[in-house]
Amino acid sequence: MRSYFAGAPRHHGARRPVMSRRNLLTGSLGAAALLATGCTGPRADEPSADVEALASPSPAPTAQATAVPVQPGALPQAGKVVAPVRLRISAMGLDARVQAVGIDPRTGDFAVPPSVDSVGWYRFGPGLEATGGSIVIAGHVDSAAQGKGAFFGLRELDAGDQVEVGDRAARVVRFQVVAVEQFRKTKIPLARYFARDGALRLSLITCGGPFDEASRHYRDNIVVTARAV
Amino acid sequence: MPTSIVRRLLALGAVTAAVTAAGGLATAMPAHAATSKVSVVHGIPATPVDVYVNGKATLKNFKPGDVAGPLDLAEGSYDIDLTKPGEPIDKAILSVDGAAVPGGANISLVAHLDEAGKPKITPFVNDVSKVGAGKARLIVRHTAAAPAVDVRAGGTPVFKNLTNPNEAKADLAAGTVSADVVLAGTTTVAIPATDVDLKEGTATIVYATGSAQDKTLGVVAQVISGLHSAPGGVPSGDGGLADEPGVNVWWLAAGVAVLLLLTAGSVRLATRRTTR
Repeated sequence: MRSYFAGAPRHHGARRPVMSRRNLLTGSLGAAALLATGCTGPRADEPSADVEALASPSPAPTAQATAVPVQPGALPQAGKVVAPVRLRISAMGLDARVQAVGIDPRTGDFAVPPSVDSVGWYRFGPGLEATGGSIVIAGHVDSAAQGKGAFFGLRELDAGDQVEVGDRAARVVRFQVVAVEQFRKTKIPLARYFARDGALRLSLITCGGPFDEASRHYRDNIVVTARAV
Repeated sequence: MPTSIVRRLLALGAVTAAVTAAGGLATAMPAHAATSKVSVVHGIPATPVDVYVNGKATLKNFKPGDVAGPLDLAEGSYDIDLTKPGEPIDKAILSVDGAAVPGGANISLVAHLDEAGKPKITPFVNDVSKVGAGKARLIVRHTAAAPAVDVRAGGTPVFKNLTNPNEAKADLAAGTVSADVVLAGTTTVAIPATDVDLKEGTATIVYATGSAQDKTLGVVAQVISGLHSAPGGVPSGDGGLADEPGVNVWWLAAGVAVLLLLTAGSVRLATRRTTR
């Protein structure tokens, strides 16, 4: 299990009153285990094999020796893209507006919406019309000025949690969480989450990990990957 | 029908162009790369053709304005012949012998008119390097029987004094641009304005084709996708409310040791109590 919550003993760090040798031993070992794994925080930079599998492009169709594809050389038209406008994740009590966003021209970074209550869909990547690739939605974990953000609870998600993404016509596409990963921002394989090939999936991204008061930056990114169901 | 001298000249021209165009790419190409992606673009008005590659019929009834491919072709030299549909190869209307295909490149072979209106084949090496996030690449190629032109976007010249058979290119913000073509240095419109959707992460290649004299000027477009890049990062928090401070390993080790000691002590105490 490489998803970051899988091994963390969040709910069974039992520290009951010490009554017997057995309980005492279990309690202490539990506490030791909690100290060893729980307190160090999630293990960063361990990619999930499930996410890698979803991201790997399907094998190229066997080359047909006879037919050479021919297309009319018409000027390209803007393709039909269905923008997500709503993101609902009941496991974290979230029902957020989704804005279409692109790149911050000053930094070249993902232009996460300034309001921490909204989340941003990467409009250059796949939308809800897609049959493959990664639909990316990123949102704030928090902000100094506005407090907790829409994605504050993102890292608490677990494999199996349901995610619903709605479009303007109130149609809903459902996804199911397969992994929660954490990477240092210097190590995150962003190309995997911004890929336009591989299985259709949803990548939810926010910040996490240790916070540097001086630079006011989090060290890590949290990525939740959900597959279409 | 070209004489053999014309054929040889054409071939020489094609090879030179291919080698020149590939030269810039050579340093970026991995040494083991052997096959190239080759597309064929038809920019000669009113002349459907069959295309033969090394004597083998590869495209039947290939129509003006169409783009075929990409084909995977191994590095090497190729003989290319265009015939009227159904006619034998020895009646080719246009031939190139020994056109060089470098390894590991993305190439467009363009059948078009030269500035004087004579049919020819020009190979172009396509720039398929990644574009920045949010960007699209626009490549414009002058392959028409027309003098030098300027290409304007939104009324402003972006590529100036482009001549046959050359290209100009730029990476632009993705989106729709209204582009037209004017005679170089003038506002005389050669190809009227059309909207071009520059999709993020693609290279859109626009060929100016046809003949000014015959009033057949037009455009043919070819799109190469998959050139997108990821954003530089996803900055999404500056509050520190979700801080998960790292733990010093030595403190951790000390903590575990203390716990184990306590446990051992308690176990002995407990044992003593139960045995009494």
